[in-house]
Amino acid sequence: MSAPQTDVRGSIEGVQRRALLVAVAAGVPALVGAVFQTDQFLRSWLLAFLFWMTFPMGSLGLSMLHHLTGGSWGLTIRRLLEAAMRTLPWMALLFVPIALGVGRLYPWADADVVAADAVLQKKEAYLNVPFWLVRAVVFFGVWIGVSRIVARTVTQQDRTGDPKLAHRLRMLAGPALGVYALTMTFASVDWGMSLEPHWFSTIYGVLFIVGQGLGTLCLSVVMGSWMARREPFSRWIQPKHFHDLGNLMLAFVLLWAYVSFSQYLIIWSGNLAEETPWYIHRTGHGWQAIAIVLIVFHFAVPFLVLLSRRTKRGARNLAVVAVALLFLRFVDVFWLIAPAFHTEGLHVSWLDVVVPVAVGGFWVAIFFRGLKGRPLISLQDAQLQGALEDTATRPLPEVGSSHG
Amino acid sequence: MTDRAPTVDPGPAPGASPAGEEFIAPGHSLESVTDKISHLVLTRRTPRGWWIGFAISFLLAMLLVPSVGVLLAKGTGVWGLNVPVGWAFAIINFVWWIGIGHAGTLISAILLLLRQEWRTSINRFAEAMTLFAVTCAGLYPLLHMGRPWLFYWLLPYPNTMGTWPQFRSPLVWDVFAVTTYATVSALFWYVGLIPDFATLRDRAKSLPFKRVYGILALGWRGAARHWDRYETAYLLLAGLATPLVVSVHTVVSFDFAAGIVPGWHATIFPPYFVAGAIFAGFAMVLTLAIPLRQFYDLGDFITRRHLENMGKVLLATGLIVAYGYAMEFFFGWYSGSEYEHSMLSNRLSGPYRNYFFALMVCNVLAPQLLWIKRCRTHMGWLFLVAMFVNVGMWLERFVIVVVSLSRDFLPSSWDLYEPTKWDWGLYVGTIGLFLTLIFLFIRFLPVISIFEMRTLAPQSSEGNGDEADEAADREGGAS
Repeated sequence: MSAPQTDVRGSIEGVQRRALLVAVAAGVPALVGAVFQTDQFLRSWLLAFLFWMTFPMGSLGLSMLHHLTGGSWGLTIRRLLEAAMRTLPWMALLFVPIALGVGRLYPWADADVVAADAVLQKKEAYLNVPFWLVRAVVFFGVWIGVSRIVARTVTQQDRTGDPKLAHRLRMLAGPALGVYALTMTFASVDWGMSLEPHWFSTIYGVLFIVGQGLGTLCLSVVMGSWMARREPFSRWIQPKHFHDLGNLMLAFVLLWAYVSFSQYLIIWSGNLAEETPWYIHRTGHGWQAIAIVLIVFHFAVPFLVLLSRRTKRGARNLAVVAVALLFLRFVDVFWLIAPAFHTEGLHVSWLDVVVPVAVGGFWVAIFFRGLKGRPLISLQDAQLQGALEDTATRPLPEVGSSHG
Repeated sequence: MTDRAPTVDPGPAPGASPAGEEFIAPGHSLESVTDKISHLVLTRRTPRGWWIGFAISFLLAMLLVPSVGVLLAKGTGVWGLNVPVGWAFAIINFVWWIGIGHAGTLISAILLLLRQEWRTSINRFAEAMTLFAVTCAGLYPLLHMGRPWLFYWLLPYPNTMGTWPQFRSPLVWDVFAVTTYATVSALFWYVGLIPDFATLRDRAKSLPFKRVYGILALGWRGAARHWDRYETAYLLLAGLATPLVVSVHTVVSFDFAAGIVPGWHATIFPPYFVAGAIFAGFAMVLTLAIPLRQFYDLGDFITRRHLENMGKVLLATGLIVAYGYAMEFFFGWYSGSEYEHSMLSNRLSGPYRNYFFALMVCNVLAPQLLWIKRCRTHMGWLFLVAMFVNVGMWLERFVIVVVSLSRDFLPSSWDLYEPTKWDWGLYVGTIGLFLTLIFLFIRFLPVISIFEMRTLAPQSSEGNGDEADEAADREGGAS
């Protein structure tokens, strides 16, 4: 591990400033695109939104999972997850353009299309704009509600160290995990699957949930390696923490491949007219190039690389894998969404780059703002003290106060 | 601080209290552990309860003789099969038994790799249960062939007939998945038994027993080199067995999902079947563990915390299964497809609707009791929930197989299915066979791993919570 260079607080502000700069720099051309290529802008915005939703939602899932099961893998990243969850109200704001552009994005929201389509008429009970909006409000309401409760409990925990609060979080975690799985499934249908409204697949929600888990683990590794190079975390974050996260990344890479392959095999084998178009759109007319990239770089290569202990125990090595996987997560979301709009062939618009970068800059800025407000490691947590005791070289409480 | 050592912990929690103090009752020493477990096999007189249980199981198993005999003499026509419902009890029971057989490997392999010490007292009989369940499962496809003596046609081998298995058929994948699974589970179980066979050999008083256990122990002397190789072999087998936990039931789910029958063709099937298998397996482990603990007074080793943990796994996997049902229902409705819609209405209001509602009660409602800690730690409640799940998982396969097949695309070809006495005879017979094997296992082999339990005793370095040792162990542990 390289020598610690800077203090965390200064670095956070630096990142925040740079992220905002990126957001503005990419945001200006994106706005131009919004005026002149509104349809493409909305599609790219949906892509950006679904990709950046990975982190707050994946964080919600992983942090609930961790409260439920414990384990040292989560202790060092818990605060990162909580900060990512706190960006959810902003994500609700980022959803507004999609809500406004629903008629341009989703075929079922176009009355003329529905009038000419018997299947869509049958689906109208679910796929109609008012109900779709109500569902979105409910989803965000539930997610923001859960993240609020967690944030409040955690703040209290830092202040008082009351062990009852850890218990309360654990009690919340089980039901919250169930609610996350269900709401995220329906959200994935509403926002992703219904782009091709005839198509359906019962595993689609799991595909999103697994993708969010993997993306969030990758972000945690990147952030962990960033923190490990800075005071005072260089003293706490150990190879074994990365090893655990690396193992989880490996598990999620496998899970992603398992779920994706299962869906493909079952639809290929059934060969039904209402199911195959989804794959025909994604494996023909040039789109197959992206499918192959995903098989090789989202599964085969990371699988082999993550088998190695050396990769997993080195912060820098693992962070490189994590950054690559984050990019591939983006490619995967692109492959899930974009072919719905361009069945005629592979199409990458400049807005597909600019808009996600702009949204990303904005998201990173608010994520880092959320990191600033509180200690980056949850010190009052009894479990954590257990996890760090054998590695820490200094009494623990100082970290909390140094940037509380 | 009261935060307990995590229960279903996907990673190590260094510094958390060593599990030993809760996974073995206080006051046990290395010797008392060995005494108590080997005593069941060696010195104790066979209890009357064992004889009664064994006799009943054996009688039930004997039902196999007429059931299989008549089947072979007359053919599969003696079953209730008809043209739309060509797969019924044979497949239902195959999947049911295979599912039950999943807990063993999960407990032995995955929980071992995840360093879950609570697996120690339950892994041995869970593995035995796995083997016996896979044995029962294997009977069904063989008998369903009608001419089981030609089973080797399923294997790809060069032959004069110029035939080759259809590799696009999941049924062929099943052959590979299940035989691999049976082989690896048997090896895993046997390798795990070797040190205990040696203990029994050394402690047995009668010569024949000494001989038999001695042969089975393969010359084990407990030398450091033996232990070293043993640990390596066991870890490697665990690594091999881990993907099998997922692969077998995934392939079983493809048997259905690769077809296009509404109610079968669902992309959620692979993960939902795997979760269902673990659900069923843990239910059966509980079904066996609770009476075993009661009658043989093993409460010191199979503690309430073991049972509670199993209850939690049961609840978690049950919720995943419920998610699967929910997805089937929602997407059946969302699809807008008339076939999917009629599949749903057939389940809800068709001729087999009672099976469906019973399934919901058993698999979705009953496990919700486990949210309550009192139920998770109470033997009676746990046993009750486990029994509900055993029945529920059978009903699930009935609903998938029979309800879907009896009403497929063409109403003119619909027909109902009614199991005959030979269907029931075979089913009850395999339950008898399973229980018979379990009773024999309890009588002749150590039901709990002696040497692994000793590591939990306070005298041992691990049970002592020797931090440095444990830390070193973790560093070098699973990768």
